[in-house]
Amino acid sequence: MDLHRYAFSSMGCPCEIQLETDFESGASAAAAKAQAEVARLDEKYSHYRSGNWLACLCASAGSGRAVELDEEATNLVDFAAALHAQSAGRFDITAGALTKLWDLQSGRVPAQAQIDEALARTGWHRVEWRRPYLTLPIAGMHIDFGGVVKEYAADRAAEICRQNGVAHGVVDLGGDLAVIGAHADGSAWLAGIKAPRSPEKVYASIELDRGGLATSGDYERVMIVDGKRYSHIVDPLRGRPVESFASVSVLADSCLVAGAASTLAMLLGVERGAEYLRELDLPWLALDADGRARGNIESAT
Amino acid sequence: MRPSAPLAALLSAAAALLPAAHANAADSDEANTRASYRFSEYDEDALHGTVVGDPRRYRVLSQQLAVDTKLDGGAWGLKLDATHEVMSGSSPWFVAPDAQQHPVQVLSGATIRDHRSALSVALTQGPGTSANTTYTASYSKERDYRATAIGVERSQPLDAATTLGYGGSFSHDLIEPTDAALYNRITHATKNTASTFASLAWVLDRDSVLQAGVQVNLGHGYLTDPYKLFSYGADIVAERRPDRRVEAAGLVRYRRSYAQIDAALHLDYRYAQDSWGLTSHTIEASWYQGLGHGWRLIPTLRWYSQSAARFYAPFLAAPAGQRYYSSDYRLGTFGAFSTSINIRKAIGRWEFSLGAERYHSAKGLALDSGAAVPALVDSTRVWAGLDFGID
Amino acid sequence: MRPDLLLRLVCALACGASLAACATTPVQPWERAHLARWDMRWDPDSVQTAMKQHAYFSKEGSNGTIGAAGGGCGCN
Repeated sequence: MDLHRYAFSSMGCPCEIQLETDFESGASAAAAKAQAEVARLDEKYSHYRSGNWLACLCASAGSGRAVELDEEATNLVDFAAALHAQSAGRFDITAGALTKLWDLQSGRVPAQAQIDEALARTGWHRVEWRRPYLTLPIAGMHIDFGGVVKEYAADRAAEICRQNGVAHGVVDLGGDLAVIGAHADGSAWLAGIKAPRSPEKVYASIELDRGGLATSGDYERVMIVDGKRYSHIVDPLRGRPVESFASVSVLADSCLVAGAASTLAMLLGVERGAEYLRELDLPWLALDADGRARGNIESAT
Repeated sequence: MRPSAPLAALLSAAAALLPAAHANAADSDEANTRASYRFSEYDEDALHGTVVGDPRRYRVLSQQLAVDTKLDGGAWGLKLDATHEVMSGSSPWFVAPDAQQHPVQVLSGATIRDHRSALSVALTQGPGTSANTTYTASYSKERDYRATAIGVERSQPLDAATTLGYGGSFSHDLIEPTDAALYNRITHATKNTASTFASLAWVLDRDSVLQAGVQVNLGHGYLTDPYKLFSYGADIVAERRPDRRVEAAGLVRYRRSYAQIDAALHLDYRYAQDSWGLTSHTIEASWYQGLGHGWRLIPTLRWYSQSAARFYAPFLAAPAGQRYYSSDYRLGTFGAFSTSINIRKAIGRWEFSLGAERYHSAKGLALDSGAAVPALVDSTRVWAGLDFGID
Repeated sequence: MRPDLLLRLVCALACGASLAACATTPVQPWERAHLARWDMRWDPDSVQTAMKQHAYFSKEGSNGTIGAAGGGCGCN
């Protein structure tokens, strides 16, 4: 068995698929299909493209028209609605207006008036969802699948590799991992979690032989203005980026569930988030802004 | 390992998106194939009071093997059920008046020793989905009785919270009593039964569900018990029952989850009335309690009450041309109360189960009052079972 | 008498249906974790129920549960 690595760029981050197979042809065929699936999801659900399906959906906002979603989108919206309910409204895919406002590239902190205006165009509770028909009542409402689609893509890519005969490997989409299967010799994959304030250093190594690992953090995409950190995760109730953990990693049977848990923990803030993670009873590891580590994972560092 | 409540919520939300991941659940209930074995022993208490004949009553040892599997990647479900029972003991034969015109139960002295084998098959289209159809067929055979039945039932959702169920079945039974010539019994008779039902089930909230249904059964043919006699005036004759029986029943079932304490409540009520004048009520309550580490304790209480069939009488000292008459206690007025307990332990793919039930029947437990019913039965049933999930 | 009873039962069922329909906010698919538990099934141990119902059928005058009736037997 040889290890084959396929690196590419998608979902706005560096991605890599590692496969262990006997023949390189099998690995490259599977990797190509997995990559195509990730690209398809990126194309369909990306917040940053214009002219894709999502842009058309957002264009219907305020027109009173109900848009019929396909089965995959319907299930994603149902999942997002579930997370909305479980996080008391903090997980909100209609927060696209706010995400666009807090444009981290600009280095500017938006004015309160702009935040209020964007808040008026946010709110899952305002949306009419009678599956599979979605009606966005306010013009300028934006749907942002950012919190779920990357993790879903990792699981889909792993499943496609399995369906194409690969039994050992791991999919890494910018730090969100989905395991295809443990190493051929039975040993687990080792994932290194980057230290939030010094990304070139690894602060914990986590073993995983199945399922998925997702990490939410404020270090990949962050803006620092006047010494204050503004993360890319915006609280849709207040309109401002959350002040929360520096990094949360969760292990689950799928990257999707792991990602939902880590995102929810980030959105709930340090105290409520830690309480949620303890109640959830999945393996987790978190670092708060002062560098204090918490969690129940025995990390191999 | 059962997931925590918030995790279960995430998992069920993710299930539609990642069906493969959902199938990785370690719970043996999710296994593709499940095999079950049950053994039970049923013993009736000896009769007290005035009795003629061997007072020791019925004993049944029964074994059941069932296999439940998915075919064609989950598009079809198949259930096979095989039962074998060995019955022995004496049984009520007729009731005779004593010198004070009090009823005295006469039991059949002969110790019956019979065995019954039965096989049933159920094929379901779309198991695990809310719209599915099940086709059933079964065959049961004893020395003197053969029954063949077929049925179909359908379940379909009316909206997100309501499910409609309906179906019908038909059974053709052949009775060939033993020792027919010796006891002047009929040699050969048939009976047909058709039944149909409809039910509605509602999800009331995230912790409770309610189901209500009606059923109608029509029986036509030889409905009498060929072994039972009746004291008719000064003669002892074979009992006679009508050759038609229509029964209508209504059933309400309630299930309430107390997941925070790993428990659930089951409440069932059934009301039935038939054309023989028999009315019955059944209330059954069970409490499912998880004790951690795969242990479950399930106590159950059941109360049953029936009023007599119009033609029931222990005996007729001065008959006035009645066409139908039976002293079979099962057609009399009586009530029964039973308590049972079931202990289960799950280990990996296996689940072990042990249970016991104590059944007591008496006239005083019935809602109505009526003629004497001697020989009401008290019984004990114990069982042991094994379930195994194969993938 | 019997048709009257049947009519009464059907009316009760229909009333129950309309009552439940106007009951509460619907339960979403992701809120059904509790309802999916083993102890919340209508019949968690159907093999055991079959044995139990057969025992009651053989010593009581009435028929048992709702649902497609299985075959008969000589015990009643």
